[in-house]
Parts: sequence; C-alpha cells; structure tokens
Amino acid sequence: MHKLLIKNELLGCIQCGRCSAGCPVSLRTALSPRKLIYKNLRESRKLPKSQDIWSCTTCRTCQQRCPKGVSVMDYIIGLRSYQVERGKIEPTMRDALESILKHGNPWGRPREKRTQWIDDETDVRILSEGEETDVLLYVGCTPAYDPEIQKSARALAKILNDADVDFAIIGNDESCCGNEVKRMGELGLFEMLVEENTALFKKYKFNTMITISPHCYNTFKNEYALDFEVLHYTQFLKKLLDEGKLQISASIDKKVVFHDPCFLGKQNDEYDAPRELLKYLLTDEDNLLEFGRNRERSLCCEGGGGRMWLEVESESPRNAEIRIDDAKSIGAEIVATSCPFCQLTLNDAVKTTKSEDKIRVVDICSLIAENKFEETEMEE
Amino acid sequence: MRKIGVFICHCGVNIARTVDVERVAETLAGERDVAFATHYQYMCSDPGQNLIKDAIEKYSLDGVVVGCCTPTLHKSTFMNAAQSAGLNKYNVEIANIREQCSWVHKDRNEATHKAISLVKGAVAKISLSEPLYDFETDLNHNALVIGGGIAGMQAALDIADAGYKVYLVEKESSIGGRMAQLDKTFPTLDCSACILTPKTSAVAHHENIELMTYSEVESVDGYVGNFRVKVRRKATFVDWDRCNGCGECLNVCPIRTPSEFQAGIGMRTAIYRPFPQAVPNKVVIDKRPLAPCRFGCPAGVNAQGYVALASQGKFAEALALERKDNPLASICGRICSRPCESQCKRGEFDEPISIRAIKRFISDYEEEIVPPDLPEPKDKKVAIVGAGPSGLSCAYQLARRGFKTVIFDEANRAGGMLVAGIPEFRLSRKAIEKDIEFIKSWGVEFELGRRIEAPERLLAEGFDAVYIATGAHRGNRLGLPGEELDGVMYAIDFLKKINSGERVSIGNNVIVIGGGNSAIDTARAAVRLGAEKVTVVSLHQSFDDMFAYREEIDEAIEEGVEFEFLSMPVRFIGENGKLTGVEFVRVKLGEYSEKWRMREPIPIEGSQFVISADSVLPAIGQRPDLSFIPENSPIEVDHKRGRILVDETTLATSVNGVFAGGDATTGPASAVDAVAAGKKAAESIRRFLEGIDLYEGRTDNIMKVEEVQFPPPYKRQKREKEQFIAPEERIGNFEEVSKGLSEEQVIREAGRCLACGGCVECGECEKVCEPQAIVHDMIDRIVEIDVATIIVATGYDPFDPVKKPELGYEENPNVITGLQFERLVSPSGPTGGEILIDGRTPKKVVLVHCVGSRDATVGNLYCSRVCCMYLMKHAHLIKEHLPKAEITAFYMDIRAFGKGYEEFYDRVRNEGVMFRRGSVSEIYRRGDRTIVRAEDTIAGEVVEVEADLVILGTGVVPRSDVDEIARKLRLPLSQDGFLLEAHPKLRPVDTFSDGIFLAGTAQAPRDIPDTVAHAKAAASSAMGILTQDKIVVAPIVANVDAERCSGCRICEAACEYGANEFDEKAGVMTVNPILCKGCGACATVCPSSAITVNTFKPAQIFKNIDALLR
Repeated sequence: MHKLLIKNELLGCIQCGRCSAGCPVSLRTALSPRKLIYKNLRESRKLPKSQDIWSCTTCRTCQQRCPKGVSVMDYIIGLRSYQVERGKIEPTMRDALESILKHGNPWGRPREKRTQWIDDETDVRILSEGEETDVLLYVGCTPAYDPEIQKSARALAKILNDADVDFAIIGNDESCCGNEVKRMGELGLFEMLVEENTALFKKYKFNTMITISPHCYNTFKNEYALDFEVLHYTQFLKKLLDEGKLQISASIDKKVVFHDPCFLGKQNDEYDAPRELLKYLLTDEDNLLEFGRNRERSLCCEGGGGRMWLEVESESPRNAEIRIDDAKSIGAEIVATSCPFCQLTLNDAVKTTKSEDKIRVVDICSLIAENKFEETEMEE
Repeated sequence: MRKIGVFICHCGVNIARTVDVERVAETLAGERDVAFATHYQYMCSDPGQNLIKDAIEKYSLDGVVVGCCTPTLHKSTFMNAAQSAGLNKYNVEIANIREQCSWVHKDRNEATHKAISLVKGAVAKISLSEPLYDFETDLNHNALVIGGGIAGMQAALDIADAGYKVYLVEKESSIGGRMAQLDKTFPTLDCSACILTPKTSAVAHHENIELMTYSEVESVDGYVGNFRVKVRRKATFVDWDRCNGCGECLNVCPIRTPSEFQAGIGMRTAIYRPFPQAVPNKVVIDKRPLAPCRFGCPAGVNAQGYVALASQGKFAEALALERKDNPLASICGRICSRPCESQCKRGEFDEPISIRAIKRFISDYEEEIVPPDLPEPKDKKVAIVGAGPSGLSCAYQLARRGFKTVIFDEANRAGGMLVAGIPEFRLSRKAIEKDIEFIKSWGVEFELGRRIEAPERLLAEGFDAVYIATGAHRGNRLGLPGEELDGVMYAIDFLKKINSGERVSIGNNVIVIGGGNSAIDTARAAVRLGAEKVTVVSLHQSFDDMFAYREEIDEAIEEGVEFEFLSMPVRFIGENGKLTGVEFVRVKLGEYSEKWRMREPIPIEGSQFVISADSVLPAIGQRPDLSFIPENSPIEVDHKRGRILVDETTLATSVNGVFAGGDATTGPASAVDAVAAGKKAAESIRRFLEGIDLYEGRTDNIMKVEEVQFPPPYKRQKREKEQFIAPEERIGNFEEVSKGLSEEQVIREAGRCLACGGCVECGECEKVCEPQAIVHDMIDRIVEIDVATIIVATGYDPFDPVKKPELGYEENPNVITGLQFERLVSPSGPTGGEILIDGRTPKKVVLVHCVGSRDATVGNLYCSRVCCMYLMKHAHLIKEHLPKAEITAFYMDIRAFGKGYEEFYDRVRNEGVMFRRGSVSEIYRRGDRTIVRAEDTIAGEVVEVEADLVILGTGVVPRSDVDEIARKLRLPLSQDGFLLEAHPKLRPVDTFSDGIFLAGTAQAPRDIPDTVAHAKAAASSAMGILTQDKIVVAPIVANVDAERCSGCRICEAACEYGANEFDEKAGVMTVNPILCKGCGACATVCPSSAITVNTFKPAQIFKNIDALLR
C-alpha cells in the first residue's frame, strides 16, 4: 500500500463521484479525481502516472464535497510532488519555479524591480530591518510585477493612506509566499520559502499582515506558523469601514456581480467582506447581482495550482469564458473580484469573448479607489 | 486467606486468539487467595456456568472472578450462577479481558501479560469483598410515555391495553407526530393518515390513557418504580374545556406564519391547530415575545397588529387597534420617524414593511369619525399645557379612562410643532385636523390662545393634576458676526411664518445651514416660494451621515436643492444692512463628540470661501422655551440646558401632581417620542389620581423576538412605493407631496409581514368564539405525576439542507425536502395534493439521495435508512400524478432491506424511473433553469441535468432539543447524537437508567414498521416493571460511618439524586439506599472520609491498583 493512499485516507472512498462532479475542470479536461482514486485503489502499491493531474486548479472543491473525508486535492498535489521529484513537470511550470528560486517571483522578473509598482503619486513606506509599523502590506508577486495588477496595489495603498492606516511594505526583500509552489508539488522549495519568509518577517515589528492575493493569504494563514494576524485586504477594509475609519459613499450605478475567488471563499470561508464593500459602493443594493454558481459553488477561474503557467488542451471554453458569459447573461456590467489571478484570467476571457464593451473586470480595491479619488489614474 | 475461584473465558476465539488463556489460568492458580483457576471456551454457556457452580461447592469458594467480556454483558449471568450455588452474588467480580484487552491488542505476549494483571486486580478487589443483600421497595403502576408520534402512541396503547395507567405527554397540541405529515407509506402505499387516525383515535378514547398534549416534561426525580415527574402544561390561551373545535377563529385570525405541520411550505394562523384531524381537536394561540416593530415603537403601538388586520382588508379594526396607543394615526402615518421600520425583521431579508404608509392608509380610509362609547366620567380634572403631540396623546389617554381634560396652548391652533414646524407639503393640515377631531370626539377640551404662566398654579384653579408638554420652540443661535443683517432669518421663525400662511420674501438665492430635517424642510419650502437657487450647507460629509431622513433628502434633490458638505459658517457678509453672502470654512471631522452629536468638525485653516446669497436660513436646532416657568418656581428646571427635570419612569416633576414630558424635558426629539411621553404621563397621572403606586410594574423588562426564521417559501418582494406628485408640479405650491399607497398596495404590503410576534391580541377571535374560550392571560401550569416507568419516544428531526449550501436549497424554490414533498403531494397539503411548483407542473424531476446522511461534511456518518425508500415512493407518486414526468434518481447505494422493499425498488424501476449511480455535488441556477451536477459513475461521466423539481432525500437527525431531553432524563447520547441504548444488539430499548426505555427514532433512524416493533418492545419492557409487586434495588450504595461523620453536610450538595438525608436528631448524614446510585460523588467530597461505597471501599480500590501495577 502506497503511503500516499493511507495519508489521504483514500481507502475510505466509496466512489460516489461528488469530487469529480464538483471539479471545475472535469467537463473540459480528462481529470477525474474519482477515477484516479479508483485506479489507485486497484493498484495500491504504485501511483498512477496520469498527466491529467496537471489540469487541477487546486480549488479544493473535491475535498470539501467528499462525504468520507478523503483528502482528494492533497492526494493530487501528492501525485504532482512525486512527478516533480522525478523531474516530470511541464517546462512552463518549471520556469516559474526556477524564477521563484532565483528571483523570489514566478514571473522571471528581477528582484530589484519588485517595488517598481510604486509611482510618484503613491506614498508607501518601505521598512528597514528592525522598524515598526501597525500593518504590514504583503504585496505579493503578481501585484508587484504585473502592469495590470499593479493598479490594485496602488489603489490599496491610496486607500490605506486616506484612512490614516500606519502601514508599510518590505520592499525588494519580499519573496514569493509559496502558495502556488506547494500546489505545483515542489514541496522542497515550499519548505525553504516558509523558512526564509518566516525569518524575514521576524526582522520587522508589526501587528497585522494584509495581502492583496487570497493565495498569499491562504498559505500565510493556514500553512505557516506565524505569530501575527493575517487578513485579506477585503477583510481589513471591511474592518476599517465598521470602525468608521474608511468612508465609501455610494457612487456606482451599474450592475455588479462578485466572483468568489476559491482561495478566499471555498478555502477560507470569507464570502461576506467583499460583498459588504460592494454594497457600500453601489447606489442601489439591488444592483449587486449573484452568479448562479456563487459562494461555495463559485466556478474556479483556473488560475490556481500553477495553472497560471500552464494552459490545458480542451475543446471546451475556458471556465473564465464561461464565467464572463454567465455574467453577461445575468446582465452584469462589472465583474468584481478580489484576487489577482481571477482578475487576469477573467480579463483575458473578456478579450477572447470580445466582451470589452459589455463587461469590465475589476478588483474591489480599484473600484473603491476610483470611487474615492476619481481624478487619479484609476479611471479607465 | 480467601478461597477465590478464577474462571477465564476464551469467548470462542475472541479472547483466546490474542490472550494465552491457559497461561492466565495457570498463573492465577498460584496466586495468594486463589483456591482454584480454570479456563473454558464459553463461560457464559450452561456448561461454563456449571463449571463455576461446581467449583463453588467443591472448593467452598468465597469469591469468584471471571475473566471475560464487559460486565455490562454477563456480570449478572455469573452473579446469578454463583447465587444459585450458595455464594453471595456480590462476591463475584469481572475482569474485562475482551474489550479492554484482547480486542485492542495485537501482541499475544503483551496481551496475556495484561490479562493476568487485570485478573489479579479483580482477585485483589474481591479478596476484600463482603456479602451484600438487595433492597426491596414498593412501586406505583403507572407509565409515562414522552412523545405522541407513532412510537409513543403504540407503546401507550400496548401498556394501556394491559390494564395500566399511561400518561402520554406530547409537545405539540396534537398527537400524530411525523407520521401525520406523511402522505403515503412505503412499500405498501397505505395512506399514512388512514392507518394513523385509528391509532390517534384509540389513544384519545382509551380509558387508561391520560393525554397531556401541548406539554413538556420539566424534570424527572426518583427511581424505577417511583419516578416523580413534573410536566409543564404550556399555556394554550384557549380554555380546552370550552373549545369545541369549531374552527371559526381560524377564519378570522389575521396572522400568517409558516406552518410547522406543512414543513414550511404552507402557512397557518396564530390561533391554530396543526391539522384539521388534530387529536384532541382543540386550538392553541401562538404567543411570543413582542415583535421588533412593536417593541421598537416608543409608544408601544401594536404595529404588527394593525399591519396584520390591514392585510385582511380590516382597515377600521386596524385603525382602532392603532389608536389604542396613539391617537395621531393620521399625523404619524405621514411624518413618524419610523423606529418600527428600522427594527423590522423583514429588512434583514429584503426590505422592511412600509408600516408608516399602511398606518396612513388606514387612517385616510376612515371617512368619518364615529363618536366613541365614552367611559363613565370620573370627577377628576387634568390640565395639559401644550397642544403638541405629547399633550394631545396624554389628554386622549386620560379621556379614554374617563378623566376630564383641558388642553391649553398659547397658539391659536392645536398641534404644536407639528403645525408650526412641519410644512404642509409633508404633513397636510387636513391630516392634523382629523386627529384633533378624533381626540375631541373623546371629550377633550381645548383652550387655545391662552398662555399659562407658572403652571403649578393650575392645581389651585380646580385641576387635580397638570401635564406640561410645551415642546422645544426656541431656535438655537449661531452667534456669528452679521446676524443682524436683513436676510438672516432663523429657520424655525421662517417655518412658523409660512406655516401660518404668511408669504415671506427670501429672494432668489437662498442658503440653508444645517443637516437635520428642518434644514431640508426649510430648503424645500424656499423652493416652493420661488427661490431659484437653494443650497443646503452642512457640517456632514455626505447624505449618508446627515441627520435628515434620506427620503426627505432625495425629495429635496428632486426639487433641485443643492448641497455643500463639510462647511461651517464663519460670518454673514452684507452691504447697507442687507445680506449679500455667507463666509464658510471647510472642516474635517475628528472623533465623535457628544456636544455636536456627530464627529467633531475641525476647521481647516485658510480654506475660507464665500457663497453669495439674498437670504440665509440657519436651521441648527431648537431648545425648549421655559420662560413661562418663573425663576423662583417650585418646578425644578435645568436652565442651562433648558429642560424641565422629571423622574424618568413616571415623568413627575418636583411638584406633586405636576408632570412634564416630551421635548420640554428631553430637548428636540421625534413626534412619536412625544406621543410616547404623553402616554406614559397619562398612566402616571391616572395612578396619581387613583392613589396607586407610580412605579409598580413599570420598569419590568419587556421581551422582544430576537430570531425570526425566513423559511424558503418567502420570496424576495420589495416594499410598495408611495405615489408622489411629480417634482416639477411641486414648485409654487405647498400641496402634500406623497399620495400614499392604494388599497391594493396596502393589502400586498401588509401581506409581506413575517408576523414575528405571533398573536397580536387584536381580539378578532374573541368576537367569533361562541363558547368564549379565549383566555389571553393564561399561564403555564406545572403538574406532578408518579410513574413507575418511562418510555422516551421523542422522535427525530429531518436534516436541514441549509447546512449544505452547495445544494442551493435556500435560493431555489423548486428544490424541496422530502418532508415538503410529502406535504406537497398530500391532499391535506397547501396545494390540495397537486404537484405544483410556483404554480407549474414539473416535467423533469431529480431525486437526490443521501442528503445529510453518510456525510462527514455535516458530521452525520450513519445511513438514515428511510431515504432510499421514501424517494422511491416519491418517484412512484410523481409517476402516478404526472405519468409523463422524467424522473432521475442520483444515489450512492440503494438500501432496500426490508420486507417488500426490494420488490418496491423493482416496481419503481419498471415504472420508468431512471436510477443513476453517483452522488449530487451541487445544484445551481443557470438563468431560470435549475441544474443538478453529479457524476454518473457507471458511465464515468460528469453530467449536468436540468430539473423543474428537485427533491432532496433529507436524512434523519436527532431532535434539536435532544440535549435537553437527555439532560432531564439523565440519559447519555451515542456518538451520532441519538439517545444511547444499553446495548446495540441485545438491549436495544433499555437505557442505562433502570425503568427508562427508548422507542422509535429517538434512539436511531428507523422506518415505521421498525419503529412500531421497537415501541412494542419498549412497552413490553416497561410492563415487565409494572407487573412487579416490589422493586429490587442493588446494594451498591454509599454508607455513612456515623462515628466519623461530623455533620458538615457538604455531601448533601454533591449528591445529584437527593439521596443524602441529614438526620437532625443524631447530627449525622444518612443515605437513602433506594435513591442512591452508588456514584461515589459524596465519598469524594467527605472531609472526614466517613462515606464509603459498597464494593468500592478505599481498601478494595487501593489493593486493586496495587495488584494491577505489580
């Protein structure tokens, strides 16, 4: 019996198929968690060599739905890890991992340019060793480097400044959180990142860490052993709002639908904070629409689990495209989200479905910033 | 030296496979005190027992140790064997070498070693044992059955048929339980009601059964044979001796709340019976704490009540109910600040009920005020100073009670600030006049145009009491340079002028300063006077934090009023004595300040700016004008703040007989606050005049409903919108802007009410109840009964699918539970048995197996045993009703294990129901379609199936109040949360408490045939006790060494069973062996170690431990 089966309680599987039915890519790729498990149960000494596991977005729906407590997603990550150990990994994913090892980010960009998202109008303090701040803003790789997502980082910084929050960032020393590294199966690199990042954070004094990406939030909150509070920025802004430190007045007169990021919703049970923020922004609360597949059923955008660096072959439309079509069909004009990956995949889908004139994908912090500082660059 | 026999059982191979039984016996044979040791394959069998008996005789044994399975299984077997061979049975001890040894170990050598230790320990313990003798006691011959479902009824009938008295206690007002909710029963398709009603009727008419419905067990004391049970007979608010079940009340009750019996898909009234065939056929009234709207109203107006009556078109009744607490229905129907609506629970769901608009409608609906039946006049006379809302309310409440009241006011019109301060476009004068006329119809007299100085003097002028309600009429002053300029006019003065019909010239360019309602009123009045540009300048940062009501702001915006925020006036600028503009400074907001009643505005230096204006109207609040109370008055006044000082509870001033309330005592507040104060003062004055204590009972806490369920049949439905005059038509006239709601709108709007508070005591049922059975002030009663045995048949709850949000139960009206389908298809259901979803016949139906069963995600690991079969029954019923319907069942495994069940499965498949193997993962909306997503695991493909109707095969879960039941009866629960039986196979109806038995689904999920069988088993076990003449009680009880006892009585508190009884004469504690359970709690707390428990004496325990550790 292979230890991966025991560890993930595969023997408890009753082949009910809830995992495969819940899987967001099971209709567009060959991945079927149930079949994978079944195959492995019949040949319990060795692991299946299926390449389908690379389609997994690690959204965790399979594991959450399982009535018998099988750790389905952990098992798939385990399978990936065995392949990675043998060097069997897609080149694009390998490049991303190598970049993380070398530069601390998956995007192949130099470490020295990590703070280049900060423009002249953005006032951000960079901590030196031993310095103190109330809130540490962990920027994350994608908001630091991606030109589109940099806007979210700047927007959030403006909002925090406006609310008189004492915050700062680490600067160029900040490194990848490792959430995707772990999910691509590179457990060795992940452990190294945990060690290095934990040591890095100890160099500064702060009370709360906030992240822009739910992916970073997830791993810091659940997979590191940190001695400070970690919040996703939507949670933090909601708190500011409740304490009266942040003012948002209703100004958006459009129909908005919120796309729940898997790593914020399904994996960390935060469904309400982003919606509360949106309600404040809308002139009419009724304009906050809902997808049929919302909250616990949110359709994964396929940005997780290393899939940002791997396109899978399929004749079916991408989930992000399905999502944009769904948004159009319910009459939404804005798809709001709160995750850099969701933003990128959904934005792509807007282009591939030629919906630019109908739908806009935007991060909640950018929406708030637009609302507060209309004259700035936020206006598109 | 003792002579102890040791007997090691193989238990087949259960023990012998892991434990070397031979070696255990051999080792023990050489122990001190052991006279004989042997082993045998089945010690519990007859030959095994004989082995023990023979050895007792042959070796004159004085103690027996059996190394075998758990003592709960066979200790009594071996005790009886020993007893029959002449050995006292309490000299027998068990060493559990099965559950605690062989079953949990793998290593034979270690297990054997442990078994030897365990047996040695038992030998050590028994070596100090003494012979003990059972007690006997009398018993009564009554039984209690808790729960009136099929299990409880069956058990009660069996026991009653055997000739014993049975008390049947049921929580609901009718017996019948879950089975009464079912339509048909599988697999025979018997109509559930048809096979149930003979039972309910038999129970109701059985001479040995005393039915106690709408009752709950409060506590259980005593022991088998002599339980004393307190039963709470919940107040039904209907005298059941009088109620004849005619049901007239059901036709008139205006309340609609989800029916528990209809599983939430139908409604019932507040006075109700669960279903028409209820047994007994009596009604109860569902009374709850106050609805939040009623609780939230300062005047305590029965908002839920008049809304409910309005929903039935009973507008006159609604108005009469409203006016009990507030005579200003017409006024408050227009300008009330609506604290009720902000508390309305429906607001948490979609939007609050438009309570004020309903109030306005019912008041406007009244064509003519009907003179009331005046009460017997009393010879006391009350003077009211001030004809504002507070004075009017007080005078009216006193007049209703027969007191003569006279209202004085210096103004020539009654209404106070309502007429002076609120412009006609918000509150028509007709509306004010109507309420005044209504108050006059109660005999209230008005002396207008008369200013009262020193009001306490009225006491000397023939009045027996005085109420001062003079309001807050003096405008606050800014005190800025240039206030004397022509064109600066305070808003209150401005409003008073225009409200008395004066045309005021204000020019074209007008500034209003302030963020409250009167600022908005002023601005809107200015617009109507023809001003071209009206700007409201306030300290607030947006519309959201202004004090004014949002709707007023919105209407002002519609009318073209402009707004400037975060600005504070600095000075008024003028030329030749005439205002030309106002200088402002920008502010930022600091921390909240009590003085400002908002976050403190901090001026930003250098940010001054000027707005030009022809006139400026500061609306920065009012304060009471107390100039009518002279400096040396005996009425105590806070001159600095401008408040009359009163007692908060009674509103009494420092002068006996003089009361004060409303704005004069609090500063500016809302009209309904004033009405509330008037009502409160009226109560004080009544008490004062009748010589009753002013305080008694007035500070009691009033409860409000905290949680209201929004069951799935409620659909989102927005509140009805009032009709307004178009903005462009509002300029130049003061006509009332809102036209209110239409009659149809009101009925729809009132129908949205969730009826949080249940009964509203509107009195409609009393009017039609011929036998006069309604008793509104009934209270719960506790009755005590003596019973020898108790059967717990409290049943189950269906699994709540809200716990599995991925199944979309809450948002999809066509996703229903199994129990809801039972109601839907039942002839007594809300659709009369037609399968209709949203009024449509479903064509595609999906059945979802295992919802909440076999599911670790919700913590229910067990199979519910009935869902497979009931879903098949549903499939069959759908096929019967809708032969063309396409039915797909998604299942994990089919469990068709009972008699005729597999055959039923065959039948349903042959009817064309498609069974696909795979568990449903999620259900969601795609447009107007409902999509069920599952994997067909046989085909190996993930499928998305469209459905018009989805039935969730919701499982069986323990009742939500099972913890309470368990606590009251001191019964343990099993891991799955059901009540725990004494042994899962051999004692399925027994509990660990002698004399208490389990029946039906309270113990585990089971279907009807199994439930009935279980109930009959429980009844037979209970009868085993009832047939006894004496109850035998084991002597494993505590003993008090009277020599050592100091009489400190600490142990008394430690005993949960009340067994420790203090002997006052001897000054020592004694133990009632009948009540004592031998738990030892008293022994552990005794500071003098005077208490020991038989068979668990300290010496025995220590010797036992020594042997185990050796």
